[in-house]
Amino acid sequence: MPNWIMILLRSSILFFLTVLLIRILGKVSPSRMTPFKFVNYMVIAFIVALISTNIIINPILGFIALGVWTLYTIALDYLSIKSKWIHDLINGKETVLIKDGKVMEENLIQVRLTGEELLRELRSKNVFNLGDVEFAVMESTGEINVLLKSDRKPITAHDLQRKVDPKSEPQTVILDGNILDESLSNMGLNRNWLDTELQKMGVSLDNVFIGQVDSSGDLYVDLFDDTLQVPQPKVKELLYANLEKSQADLLSFALETEDRNLKSMFSKDADKLKKVMDKLKPYLLR
Amino acid sequence: MTVGSKVKQTLANLKGIESTLRIYSIQGRNEDERRTFEEALQTTAKVISDLELRMKTLEYEEPQYKGF
Repeated sequence: MPNWIMILLRSSILFFLTVLLIRILGKVSPSRMTPFKFVNYMVIAFIVALISTNIIINPILGFIALGVWTLYTIALDYLSIKSKWIHDLINGKETVLIKDGKVMEENLIQVRLTGEELLRELRSKNVFNLGDVEFAVMESTGEINVLLKSDRKPITAHDLQRKVDPKSEPQTVILDGNILDESLSNMGLNRNWLDTELQKMGVSLDNVFIGQVDSSGDLYVDLFDDTLQVPQPKVKELLYANLEKSQADLLSFALETEDRNLKSMFSKDADKLKKVMDKLKPYLLR
Repeated sequence: MTVGSKVKQTLANLKGIESTLRIYSIQGRNEDERRTFEEALQTTAKVISDLELRMKTLEYEEPQYKGF
């Protein structure tokens, strides 16, 4: 067999074999790998390259090496799921770099990080002031994660003690002018509903590049034709405005009428509507 | 504008609100959201029935403004 056929055959087989192997080995992205995992992948890559270019002449030997490196990896992964001790042995433990706002110098030396590098890592997490940091930890992958002091944290709805609309993920129902039936039925909707919504907007289906339905069932579309102005869903804002108007009407009725019973009825109703408005506010206005 | 027509307008407005609330109380994906809209729907229905009652008296008192 001539050499070139040999290499062609080996390379093609190994190509697909490697695709399969890497898929089996898992989903960890290279930037989040522990150093050992990285070496592991490198060795597998080298073995594949060496077999494929006929440097390891006996393919069986090469495949044995490849098998060992992949099988051991899978075995170790499995064991480290089962046992915390093995997990720490292979992946290493995370190292605390800053605790209670104070830099732990010994730990910095242990992970061989200089002060400048620490500051750079903090900056890349958008923390420019060391005084803002309560706690920082270096994960086993070498990534540094930061907990800010509680008064430096971005404010959340919980801090403001405000209720917010509990939004779940939107579903993409139109892509490239095609209706995605599966996500439509996930939302409990059908094609008829979509047709009506599109008609309401005055848009044809083949003009829609992306269409998304949010958790409250409003459709948002992006069109191929960017000069067209699409009315975006404003039903909720409108509903709130209408509530406000009705409430004001009731108040004015209460003021206008002479009858005491009616006065109290109207003002009670206005109060009720006011309460409804307060309750619905987080859902309707965002 | 007579009092009757004003009340009628508010009534129509509230009925529109009620129907939108009903849609949301069915369509919402989150149990909490659905319940809030449901409660709002019930309150609105009460206000509507109050106004309807008032409307009836108004139409009885001033039959010339009956209907639209």
